[in-house]
Amino acid sequence: LGYHKKVVDHYENPRNVGSLDRNAKNVGTGLVGAPACGDVMKLQVEVDENGKIVDARFKTFGCGSAIASSSLATEWVKGKTVDEALKIKNTDIAKELCLPPVKLHCSMLAEDAIKAALADYKLKQDPKKEEPEK
Amino acid sequence: KEQYYSEQHSSLINKAYQTLLNPLSRGLYLLELNGVEPAQETDCDADSVFLTEIMEINEKLAEPKNQDILEEIETLIKVKQEELTKEVTAAFERDDLQEAKKLLAKMKYFANLEDKLKSKKIPS
Repeated sequence: LGYHKKVVDHYENPRNVGSLDRNAKNVGTGLVGAPACGDVMKLQVEVDENGKIVDARFKTFGCGSAIASSSLATEWVKGKTVDEALKIKNTDIAKELCLPPVKLHCSMLAEDAIKAALADYKLKQDPKKEEPEK
Repeated sequence: KEQYYSEQHSSLINKAYQTLLNPLSRGLYLLELNGVEPAQETDCDADSVFLTEIMEINEKLAEPKNQDILEEIETLIKVKQEELTKEVTAAFERDDLQEAKKLLAKMKYFANLEDKLKSKKIPS
C-alpha cells in the first residue's frame, strides 16, 4: 500500500501534534473513533473572543491517512471562524491528500473531529443549551 | 490439478480456523451470518469515556517504556479483551445483536492496541 507523498509528509512532519487545556473555557475538544479500523482521533481548538480559531492541536492513533487527515484539519481550522471551520468537508481533505477510496473514511473521521471540537466549544459558551439528541 | 484443489482448500481451512480462533474475527463473522453489518459510522462523544481510555492507553504506549511497564499494559489489555469477550458471548446468547455489534467495535480498538504492543516488545 503506497501512501501519497502528501500523506507521508504529514506523517513524517506532523503539524500541531499535542494537547490544549481541555478545561479552558475557550478550548473545544473533539474525541472520535472509527470502529471499523479502530483509529482514534482527538482534535482541539482554541477560540479567541472574536470567535476565531487561534490554535489547534491533534493526537491521532491510527493509519497514516488518519494522521495526515487530522494534521491537515488542524492546519486548516487555524485562522478560521467557528462557522467557517464547520464548512470544512471530508471531500476537501481527501482531495488535498489524494486519498484512495479505501481511506476516504479517514477524512470523514477528521471532519467529524472538527465538528465535535466545535460543538464542545459552543456548548461551553452556553451551558444552558441542551445537547442535541444523538 | 488435484494438488491445486487441495492447496486451495487447505488455505481456506486455515483461514476459517484463524477466523474462528480469534474472538473478534469470530464475533464479526457471527454478526455477518446474522445479517448485521459491523459498526461503520464514526463513534462520537457518545462513548467519550471509553474513547478517552483508549486514547490514554495509546499515549502510554507511545512513550518510551521499559519491559516491565509494557507487560503491565499488556496485562491490562488482555483483561479488557477477556471482559469484552465474555460480554459479547452473553450478548449473542440472548440474541442481542446490536449490543454485540457495539461491543465488537470496542474490541477492535483493543485489538489494535495489542498489535501495537506486540511490535514494541523486544522479541524474546
